[in-house]
Amino acid sequence: MSWCVLNHLSSLTCVENVRLLDRSSGQRKASTGTLYLSATHTIFVENNPETRKETWVLHSMVNSVERPPTIPAGSQLILHCKDFRVYQILIPQERDCLDVHTSLVRLSRPGKYSELYCLSFNPNVNKEDREESWNFIDLMTDYKRMGVPNNLWVATAANSEYRVCDTYPSELFVPKSATPAIIVGSSRFRSRGRFPALSYFHQDTLAAVCRCSQPLSGFSGRCQEDEMMLQAVMKSNPGSDFIYVVDTRPKLNAMANRAAGKGYENEDHYTNIKLQFIGIENIHVMRSSQQKIIDVGEMRSPSMTDFLWGLENSGWLKHIKAILDAGVFIARAVADEGVSVLVHCSDGWDRTAQACSVASILLNPFYRTIKGLMVLIERDWVSFGHKFSHRYAHLDGDPKEVSPVIDQFLECVWQLSEQFPCAFEFNERFLVAIHTHVYSCHFGTFLGNCQKERRDMRLRERSHSVWPQLWKDRAEYTNPLYKAELSQTQGVLRPNTTPYCFKMWKGLYNHMEKSTPPRQSPADFLSAVREESQQLEEELTNHQEVPPGGTAHHHLGSRQGIQHTKTPPVMTPL
Amino acid sequence: MFSVKPLKPTFKCYLPPVQTDVKRSIEPPIKKLEPKLLQGEIVVNEVNFVRKCISAESSQDDLWGKLICTNFKVSFIPQDAPPKQKSRLSHLLLGEHDVPLTCLEQVVTVNDTKGKKKVLGSNQKLKFNPTELILYCKDLRIIRFCFDEAGPESAKKVCLAIAHYSHPADLQLLFGFEYQGRRYHESKGERINGSTPRGGLQTPIFDRPSDWDREIKRTGASEWRVCSINEGYAISQSLPEYIVVPVSLADQDLKQHSLSFTDQRIPLWCWNHQNGSALVRMANLSDPLQQRKTDQRFLAAITKSHPQRSEVFRSDLDKCLPNIQDIQNAFVKVRQSCVIDPFEESEERWLSSIENSRWLEYVRAFLKHSAEIVYHLDGKNSSVVLQEEEDRDLSCVVSSLVQLMLDPHYRSLIGFQSLVQKEWVMAGHRFLDRCNHLKKNDKEESPLFMLFLDCVWQIMNQYPAAFEFTEAYLTLLSDSMWIPLFSTFLFNSPKQRAQHLMDFAKNKAIPQGEDQVVYFPPVWNWSQQFSTKDQTLFNNPMYVGKGAACVQNGEVKTFRRTKQKTYSSTLRGTSASVRNGMRGGEETLPRRGSLVSELRPDFSPVKDESPSERFFRDWFSRPADQQGLLIPLLMPSHMALWKLYFLRWVPEACIPRGGPITAYHKLSQLVDEIEILQSQLRQYKGPSPGSTPLPSPSGPPSDQRRMYFKAGSPNDPPTPPDFLTSSFPFTPVGNLCRRGIHGTPISKFLNEARIWLSTETLANDTV
Repeated sequence: MSWCVLNHLSSLTCVENVRLLDRSSGQRKASTGTLYLSATHTIFVENNPETRKETWVLHSMVNSVERPPTIPAGSQLILHCKDFRVYQILIPQERDCLDVHTSLVRLSRPGKYSELYCLSFNPNVNKEDREESWNFIDLMTDYKRMGVPNNLWVATAANSEYRVCDTYPSELFVPKSATPAIIVGSSRFRSRGRFPALSYFHQDTLAAVCRCSQPLSGFSGRCQEDEMMLQAVMKSNPGSDFIYVVDTRPKLNAMANRAAGKGYENEDHYTNIKLQFIGIENIHVMRSSQQKIIDVGEMRSPSMTDFLWGLENSGWLKHIKAILDAGVFIARAVADEGVSVLVHCSDGWDRTAQACSVASILLNPFYRTIKGLMVLIERDWVSFGHKFSHRYAHLDGDPKEVSPVIDQFLECVWQLSEQFPCAFEFNERFLVAIHTHVYSCHFGTFLGNCQKERRDMRLRERSHSVWPQLWKDRAEYTNPLYKAELSQTQGVLRPNTTPYCFKMWKGLYNHMEKSTPPRQSPADFLSAVREESQQLEEELTNHQEVPPGGTAHHHLGSRQGIQHTKTPPVMTPL
Repeated sequence: MFSVKPLKPTFKCYLPPVQTDVKRSIEPPIKKLEPKLLQGEIVVNEVNFVRKCISAESSQDDLWGKLICTNFKVSFIPQDAPPKQKSRLSHLLLGEHDVPLTCLEQVVTVNDTKGKKKVLGSNQKLKFNPTELILYCKDLRIIRFCFDEAGPESAKKVCLAIAHYSHPADLQLLFGFEYQGRRYHESKGERINGSTPRGGLQTPIFDRPSDWDREIKRTGASEWRVCSINEGYAISQSLPEYIVVPVSLADQDLKQHSLSFTDQRIPLWCWNHQNGSALVRMANLSDPLQQRKTDQRFLAAITKSHPQRSEVFRSDLDKCLPNIQDIQNAFVKVRQSCVIDPFEESEERWLSSIENSRWLEYVRAFLKHSAEIVYHLDGKNSSVVLQEEEDRDLSCVVSSLVQLMLDPHYRSLIGFQSLVQKEWVMAGHRFLDRCNHLKKNDKEESPLFMLFLDCVWQIMNQYPAAFEFTEAYLTLLSDSMWIPLFSTFLFNSPKQRAQHLMDFAKNKAIPQGEDQVVYFPPVWNWSQQFSTKDQTLFNNPMYVGKGAACVQNGEVKTFRRTKQKTYSSTLRGTSASVRNGMRGGEETLPRRGSLVSELRPDFSPVKDESPSERFFRDWFSRPADQQGLLIPLLMPSHMALWKLYFLRWVPEACIPRGGPITAYHKLSQLVDEIEILQSQLRQYKGPSPGSTPLPSPSGPPSDQRRMYFKAGSPNDPPTPPDFLTSSFPFTPVGNLCRRGIHGTPISKFLNEARIWLSTETLANDTV
């Protein structure tokens, strides 16, 4: 734990007689207590001697600190958090308030990685356990699970030491016929060197989902190796004589890129491709759209009109639909037509990650399990160089780089789970937990912008992986309606993407909803029923062991319910 | 919304729906197509070689057959009946392609070649030969028939007959009066053998003092009595014969004061809280001279019937709720957006079109007002009088919602039916006029009962374990309004019912003294419409009624809902667990309803909080008892469109193998499994007193099982059946053929324009 930050806060380790209101949980009455600022958290301890309730807010979860005009009772601060919680703080002395504000602004926008919580956070685990935690998700096992490498797709060493593309992982799968020369040539013709590589292989049809960035074609540019690369992708699918190239951008945006020497594949130059635009808007549109839906979630007493118009005008659900549509297109091509798909957008790390991972969810039941979703995020997002630290503002940086790209992916999964309540092993809480950790910098998993950066930072030695932690708590994240066998027949999910089937994700954007006791939901009811069912079965077995009518021993109530496991507590010094 | 569409070519171009090679050729009918007729039903007109449209997209699945108009229904008999779809309930009185005449909202004839269209009424002429007939139904179906191969004259005749017979001149001409007479005489034999009171109907009808007495006892309303001054409808035309009044008012007083009320409707007791507060409904006072005196007399009596003599709270519903015309307009609009407008149009602005209808706003207003009445009865311990001009419309909605929130009895199936019987049928809701069965006065039409069912659904949606019945039940109940065979929805008042049924009995030679319920049954006798097996779709597997979940012969065993887990919100989930377990107060996470959130949370002192706000806040901060008071959350985000009702016919809204029904399927199987295990347990334990052990080791025989979906044997795959869609137990197939806007120049233009507009942020994309 670094004390330097605390030291330069000198006089400001604590402020007394502060009032705090957790607006997002529906709290109405402010509680009075003491506010502490640590190197990592804002901590509020209630004065009430009976409860001494504590509220901890991680600095990296603070999105912005607003300072509304001073009122007679004191000066106010409003903390808007990245998980859409809102805390309102009232400090009696304006001077204290100013100091807290300055410190919070500074602490919530760290300049370097070393200031982040995950690099100081030190749970009670030894070195071996920490190293083991990083091996919890192994991507090579996943490729093996989907049958790769095989006689169509092979591992390539081209990118070892990140020589060809510094934002790609070092281990990649490419068509068997793609020689290193083709790979290198193709990568020179693609934005940031992100050449076509395998994302998902569908064993049932031998069709594949590949990903890359836009070609540097401009108006007339060509590249023989790139054309050969696409040809190789096609050849790696014996069942089809063409491939789809899905450009997930609106066509006009793609066309405009040609003026900058980029753009999209010319169907005349590439033999046997069919080009398809999807129309997912760019990160800037998404950023402002999300702000609008956050505002809808924060409305205090909206009318029906405020709510429905707000929701529609945010455009958010329309964007979610576009992403789901992209996934549906890819999944249908791969599963129904048996045609391989090459997906890209501009740089191939935002919209491409969304479209590919949604397609995987639709195509393969494995990704609808707890472990499977972890693997999927690790593969299509973490390893393929989604810029986590830029998009989720881990460090003080360019606000135009920030955008809720993975929020949208998680929401697509949520919308799907609403349409198919029995098809997912996990529940909403799991998705929200992932969302939180993408932003929290609590673990090293999502730090940095690509694999190389993480390696250079030696994150595996200095921080912990989030996945074993979530896995440990999986009982809390399990959807009892899920049954594994179901997935065999519900192999490919075929969702409905008409507007009737999209709704606001209240669990994320409307925290009041979160505080509704969850046992209202059928799923939680089912957990209870399942428990009961098991009890009865055990009881029955006991009876069957003795002749009917004889005295059987009852073992009712011997079973324990799902245990909540907690990690050993760790003190954070104030 | 959703204005951004992919540029052409769209998904459809690349990935067309799976083509079936079978091209149906038009074959002349060889076999004779006979309609299935009920007792007393006769064929009025028919036409052959009719094509029924199945999907709006293409005509390849269309069915050929005969279109028939009877005195009860429009029937279509397909020539080659496709294998019966399992996804449909088999209705015992109506076939898959039948529509009762009472269910027709509008009969529209079209001549494509001449570009003509006419909405047909009764006794009208048609100057063109129709090429198409479109039936807009009150249950929101839109059914289309094409006459391209049919005889033009016969087609025209059938259309005119359908229009004519769907506008009956008189109530007695509704088919129920013919059918029930025949049915009564033909099924006499069976009845005598197994005669049970009221034909075995368990739902109280409230047409005799004993039903009211029981209700008084059940609610502990000791200061109220059954009064029979309206016997023979001597006082009021719209009140039931027996009503409940304060004990302190003598019959003489009541008679005298009745003259001051609209239609002599003296205030009517509805329900008593266990704290002694009563819910009363009353009409406006019509006599201005007597007004004050009468009013005070009644208020005093109601106060006197309260154990604490606390002040009576009066709520004037006409002043604070939308009127029946508003409600009708909202319904027309929401229906327009859901089923009538072309999908391409409604898709674009789906949420705002729902908003524009104001339907959800009204649903919310009624729930909210009812919750406020609940506060007065429960939180303030005072009696409440609901006042409305005639006390026959808005009062019905509010009083039943209040009771549904306060009294778990009404959340059971029988309880719910008795509530409808008491607060709607007996209280004199004008079902005949509001449903507009005779299509005589459109101004009187208003879907109040539908609004009530939607409100019930909203509560059910929030508390899925609190009701014994399902949304399928509510939907089928709403559909039953349009089948004119049950006494429940045919009349404007108990008096009208009594008169018509008396005449009916005389005309049909039904012996005097025979019970109405037997010779003209209400809808509550569900075996008229559905088999016992299909009725199990009414059962909610999650219901945690008084031991209801697992009661079967003899032994009662309630679910032990052992752990009421408190799940922490996720920020506090894992991150809290490494924070020294010092969580941010998950144990005190309050629930929040809009009733509370109306107040701006800020640092102002708490004293601004009104008592009612505090009441709601307290209630929401406690875990809800499914068998106690239930208050719905009322933020706009908690209001949802009732998809099963409004969108069940819409193909674009249908999710194959998805939707809430898949969860229902899984839960039903589990509960069924539990019940089998329990039954097996009972056998091992030996017979318990008063019950005989079942001989089979496989649990109760399948016709006694409560769940629609049975637990399979271990060998069965636990997959949801293929016929399960989000529309189950209904199907969009052939039930919604609406006008499309494909290919109209204006729509094309608009689509392209939208694409251009949506790229305003283009510049940002090119880095």
